[in-house]
Amino acid sequence: MSAVIETHELSKRYRRVTALSDCSVTVPESRICALIGPNGAGKTTLLRLLAGLARPTGGAVCVLGGAPRQDPAFLAEIGYLAQEIPLYRRLTAEDHIRAGAHLNPRWDAVSVRTRLADLNIPLDRAVGTLSGGQRAQVALALTLAKRPRLLLLDEPVAALDPLARRHFLGSLTAAVAESGGELTVVLSSHLIADLERVCDHIILLTESRVQLCGDIETLLSEHKVLVGPRKDTSALERTHTVVHAVRTARQSTLLVRVGGPVFDPAYEASDVDLEELVLGYMGASAAPALAHLTAVGEEQ
Amino acid sequence: MTWLVWRQYRWQAAIAALLLAAFAAVLIVTGLRMASQWHSLLTTCTNSSACGTVSLGSTLGQDLVVLSLAVPVILGFLWGAPLVAHELETGTVNFAWAQSVTKARWLTVKAGWLLLAAAIWGGAVAALVTWWSGPRNAFYSDQFQPNYFDQQGIVPIGYAVFATALGIAAGALVRRTLVAIAVTIGGFIGVRLMISQFLRAHYMPAVTAYYNPLSGYSPPGSAWVLSTGVVDKYGHVFSGGSGPEVNGVPVSAIPAHCRSMLFTDPTTLSKDKLHQATSCMQASGFRGFSTYQPAYHYWPFQGIETGIYLALAAAALAVTFLIVRYRDA
Repeated sequence: MSAVIETHELSKRYRRVTALSDCSVTVPESRICALIGPNGAGKTTLLRLLAGLARPTGGAVCVLGGAPRQDPAFLAEIGYLAQEIPLYRRLTAEDHIRAGAHLNPRWDAVSVRTRLADLNIPLDRAVGTLSGGQRAQVALALTLAKRPRLLLLDEPVAALDPLARRHFLGSLTAAVAESGGELTVVLSSHLIADLERVCDHIILLTESRVQLCGDIETLLSEHKVLVGPRKDTSALERTHTVVHAVRTARQSTLLVRVGGPVFDPAYEASDVDLEELVLGYMGASAAPALAHLTAVGEEQ
Repeated sequence: MTWLVWRQYRWQAAIAALLLAAFAAVLIVTGLRMASQWHSLLTTCTNSSACGTVSLGSTLGQDLVVLSLAVPVILGFLWGAPLVAHELETGTVNFAWAQSVTKARWLTVKAGWLLLAAAIWGGAVAALVTWWSGPRNAFYSDQFQPNYFDQQGIVPIGYAVFATALGIAAGALVRRTLVAIAVTIGGFIGVRLMISQFLRAHYMPAVTAYYNPLSGYSPPGSAWVLSTGVVDKYGHVFSGGSGPEVNGVPVSAIPAHCRSMLFTDPTTLSKDKLHQATSCMQASGFRGFSTYQPAYHYWPFQGIETGIYLALAAAALAVTFLIVRYRDA
């Protein structure tokens, strides 16, 4: 399976701020990849670099076998949906469909009309009069109509209510299923719960750096939560890597990347879920700020 | 892209067409009336000095023609300033840029159509004003004067294109429609004033005519007189305006033997004495002069000024392309 996205020490600096530094990630074909990180972590910057809308200031990026660039042939392969759901508020969905037909070499207008008809979204009303969820659906349908090979969605569900989120993600998974393995998706969010059900790959960004990148199942199997007495962990750290530790007066809760079986009977090992994993890595990168969010109660 | 531009601007285009039609209707009605007035005047006199107190024109038409000076700046802030800025503000650039269209092509097509529309609209207004002013120009010969020069011929096209391009560039630079509008209005008026006040007179060398201060002189046709005055044989220039003077020359600068003719009787100053003294001054080497741009410079000036504004528009567009292409955020 070839990599659709491959970056090597990718960096992006704006005049004063570093938006992304030394970002090395790989996303194989036909994955749905969650791009997770707190606000301002560099998610949008990474997506714009991948879409060819921004140019890196350092490192290398390869998307679909070449550097992202302002070139119609490359742009035709990328479906990029920006965070603010960019649609012309006074134009109708039908206007957007026809505009897309003029602006793209491949354009599946039928699929948009079918999709929106299934969702009971009117084609003949100005999109500014539609609800936020409907607008997001229109934008997603238009993005899919390009028949892109890579879909980059920037916080598409952030502004939606839970039901609209469910519908949106449902449409997305349906589209990926229909594509028959041709479509790779990266979608960003600052909420893990949004993406947990649909994604099989993850990139975790905090403070412009990559904390975690890989297949979700593999990552989950490589990590354990150890709960045990508060004691020196240097013995443990000879075989395992402690990602994040929360210590109370009597007890330690450790998130470890396991290097083998855990033998120490003092610890009770349990499997991690994605949320624990992500919060553990986020907590490790911003220790004091997030630690008390993850550990409820009596922290020293 | 063209389809999308048309979809975005068709209502504005319709309104612009309606306004133009209304403008044309008023100018054609008043212009035809003025033309017939002019033809009846032709039977009695040929120019404004020969016709004495007769005046030519129509108040409504004249007001509209003066308003036409504002057309370029209106195009600049209605079409130019929002072109990039509004799409950035509403985020809709990300719709266009997410299609299989490069940023450069998006800007080329959008700016291209809007600049063309501005040129056509500004050109149509200018053509109407030029036609309307025909009898006035023949009657008053003032089409080369500031403000009249700026309404007629081809310069309004240059202004319209520049104002629109300036608006586009300002919008791309400041990314806020309202700020871009302010920058466009201020920048356009500033450039217009600078060029019309300080630059225009120097496009081509002016002509200076010397004449007998007794007879007076006015350059032929619709010349643009830049300065007039009196010069003595040493080359001192007197343009009047300070203290007692004779034909623009201060009394103190008049040679003593001529001055004595003026004041043989200090209480009276007759026309006859004035005439005598002036003849004396002429004999002593005083000459009147008039520096002007001759009427045959009118079209070269129109061409030069239009060229300057088109060049400024090209510079503004080049800046816009660089900004849109190289700014990432």
